[in-house]
Amino acid sequence: MNSLRTKPEIKNELKFQLEDIFVKEIPNGLKIFYLQKDKLPLIRLNFVIEAGSKFDSLSLPGLARLTAAMIDEGAGGLSSLELSDEFDLLGTDFKISAENDFIVLSLQSLTENIERSLELLSLVILKPDFPETEFEREKKKLLVHIIQLKDDPERIADQIFDKVIYQEHYYSLPVSGYYDSVEKITLNDIKNFYANSFKADRSFIAAAGNFTAEEFYSLIGKFFKDFTQSDSNLTLSDKLTPTDKKIFVYNKPESVQTEIRVGFVSGKRNIKDFFQKQLLNTIFGGQFNSRLNSNLRERNGFTYGINSQFSYNKDSGHFLISTSVSTENTFAAIKEISNELDKLKYGVTTEELTFAKTSHTRRFPLNFETYRQLTTNLSALAIQNLPLNYFNTYLKNLNAVTIDEVNAEAEKLSQADMKIILVGNKDSFADEFLKNGYELVEVDEKGNKKI
Amino acid sequence: MSLFNLTYKKIKLKNGLEVIFYKDSSLPIAAVNIWYKVGSANERKGKTGLAHLFEHMMFQGSENVPKEMHFKYIQEAGGILNGSTSFDRTNYYEKLPSNAIEIPLWLESDRMGFLLNALDEEKLENQKSVVINERLERYDNQPYGLAWEIIVKNLFPENHPYSWPTIGFKEDIESFTLEDVKNFFKSFYSPSNATLVVAGDINETEALNLIEKYFGEIPSYETPDPPAAVDFQLSENIFIEHMDNVQLPRLYLAFPTVKSYEPKDAEFEILSDILSGSKNSRLNKRLVFDEQIAQDVSAFQFSGKYGGMFMIISTAKPGVEISELKKKIFEELYSISLNGVSDKELIKTRNGIKSNFIASMQNLDNIADHLNHYNFYLNEPNSFEWDINRYMSVEKENIKDICNELLNKNYLELNIIPKGI
Repeated sequence: MNSLRTKPEIKNELKFQLEDIFVKEIPNGLKIFYLQKDKLPLIRLNFVIEAGSKFDSLSLPGLARLTAAMIDEGAGGLSSLELSDEFDLLGTDFKISAENDFIVLSLQSLTENIERSLELLSLVILKPDFPETEFEREKKKLLVHIIQLKDDPERIADQIFDKVIYQEHYYSLPVSGYYDSVEKITLNDIKNFYANSFKADRSFIAAAGNFTAEEFYSLIGKFFKDFTQSDSNLTLSDKLTPTDKKIFVYNKPESVQTEIRVGFVSGKRNIKDFFQKQLLNTIFGGQFNSRLNSNLRERNGFTYGINSQFSYNKDSGHFLISTSVSTENTFAAIKEISNELDKLKYGVTTEELTFAKTSHTRRFPLNFETYRQLTTNLSALAIQNLPLNYFNTYLKNLNAVTIDEVNAEAEKLSQADMKIILVGNKDSFADEFLKNGYELVEVDEKGNKKI
Repeated sequence: MSLFNLTYKKIKLKNGLEVIFYKDSSLPIAAVNIWYKVGSANERKGKTGLAHLFEHMMFQGSENVPKEMHFKYIQEAGGILNGSTSFDRTNYYEKLPSNAIEIPLWLESDRMGFLLNALDEEKLENQKSVVINERLERYDNQPYGLAWEIIVKNLFPENHPYSWPTIGFKEDIESFTLEDVKNFFKSFYSPSNATLVVAGDINETEALNLIEKYFGEIPSYETPDPPAAVDFQLSENIFIEHMDNVQLPRLYLAFPTVKSYEPKDAEFEILSDILSGSKNSRLNKRLVFDEQIAQDVSAFQFSGKYGGMFMIISTAKPGVEISELKKKIFEELYSISLNGVSDKELIKTRNGIKSNFIASMQNLDNIADHLNHYNFYLNEPNSFEWDINRYMSVEKENIKDICNELLNKNYLELNIIPKGI
């Protein structure tokens, strides 16, 4: 072989250190996590409010989501369209999303316009008007969005997965809610939900920009000093009663592919096993060369791609394998996934673990390039209540994980009670499952058993 | 604004490979980005999807890189990577810690110079199957997933290079042989048909030495002439109805327009933003906000090297007829062509564009890809400032005129209708 054509070595490992994170509360308890980044004249922030669907899901699913849709439909004397125009005139990108745990308002503004952008944001958060006319429109929009769920096999599969693994837990229901629950929501429900959950002490800001931390802090103080604190603690019950069934099918006869979800409730993020699980998942299904993708895509050609992840909400989390395969390979794909899970009981190889550690270690600086990455990282820190030196001890903790620890997690994963969700043309694959001794439970799009 | 004025160096190796170097030391990272001047526009009917399938084959290893190792070596070095195919070009890119810059250069050179002997039937059959699944996942099994394919097939004249989708038709993908793949490589993957951008925290001399070392020995060969594409207009309106497994009807209007960076390209983009780019945009306000007859509406100018089209897409609310959406959309277009747009509308759009340009400078890989993009379309990598000015110089009168022009065109109308209605 031509010596030119042998793989070059990497010399001198790079060192990367993140600058200190600024953390400070303004007097009402609103906490700020900030990193200065001067590269561009930009500021980005996530305003995160613990007002997600977990607070509505067991009573009125969809309420948090509809509240999020209504929050910028007029505020502080500006109408819905005026508000939107004001943001647009500044060239400020403003978005709102609702999740299980949080409603997140994110904003990206040129530094020269940050003061006005924050002023507008404060109107939205502190002085929403909730007008009746906008309510009817937003409600109808959400209802139609729910109708459209039936078109989208990925959304159906995700929704059924949550229901199947979380059962009666507040993470089991879709953030969008159901048609019948959203229909019941009144404007008063929205106002009450807002009044109870939009509170300074239940919120934080994660931001990065070319401003000093003190300048940013004083601006937040200026615009959010009137954000009130909550007077009572909301507590949620998080009981979990797993189902004893295994395979759940949603029949979508016209499908040419089957959407597959496999997983279980693996628990909340925990400092003790986080890195073990992360390394294990990198090997198992977390990247292109993982065992799952090498098998189902590169060896068998069943799919365009398959991946797995440990996913963490604030109060719990789950492990999820996700893919879609051509209909005729549905059974074969499940068999291969099961084989790969089963093989985990033999553990991982030193080579696999070294690859996973090296890849994460060297890739580390790439996680801090964009303003969005910085605010996302700061948000994770705040949500999971991680120590402030988390990023600067990350590599040490990652590399301290032993192969025995990873293998212990691998063994647990191989024995976990995984549920399987299939969304596709049931008639074309059901026989193969039944012939091989599997029971199929047919469910509707809510994940409830069909009678 | 100096933010948009990038200092770069462009050279050409003896074999014709064009190299663009851009230094940015704000983080210890580097990006490699190659554009091959071949996309689905260079295919012919019956062999559609070959450029994209070929992109997949480029990740299947080369003479000195075993199968699956391309991904592995980059990830082991702490990098991210991928490739993509469009009508006009195919790109491959890596971003990683700057001390590992030699790895992607070696890998890219190996597949540029030493791919053929590593190709075999087994890899081909495997990737054909992966690509067919990609097609199923992204188009056939998606609601409204076939709309794009139907539109390009019917809007562009027969044999126009944009008259088939980049992913290709299923029967074409299934038919490809090893011979097809090898011939494709021998036609289009010459170093003289590619441009390599290296950007980031690296020393220029070192980078150029490495590029010479790895790419210098690869021989180049002649590549076919680019496809011919004549400008066209429709001689009459085209109407297509397509039944799909969806809950709501959706309307698509497609007007033939101009190619990338031709005069009026920016005007059409700005018009699209004024029509649908914000909550208070014309069509959103009328259809979604005020009258609530549509669930969503969007407009955009799509343009490439060989053609362009202006599209308006809107989904009807339950019980609303597509004809009603269409009527209101045309009323709004007439209103602009008659009365023009306001200062405020134009300022909103301009400021949004300016902010987007600034935000797009955050990622090194994005900058690297943009340098290649401008080099390909404009033959000048440092065109950021020129490009912004292209938008900033559009005036209200231009938008009125362009809207008028749109209304004088024949267009294609596609209605996607729920099955069972």
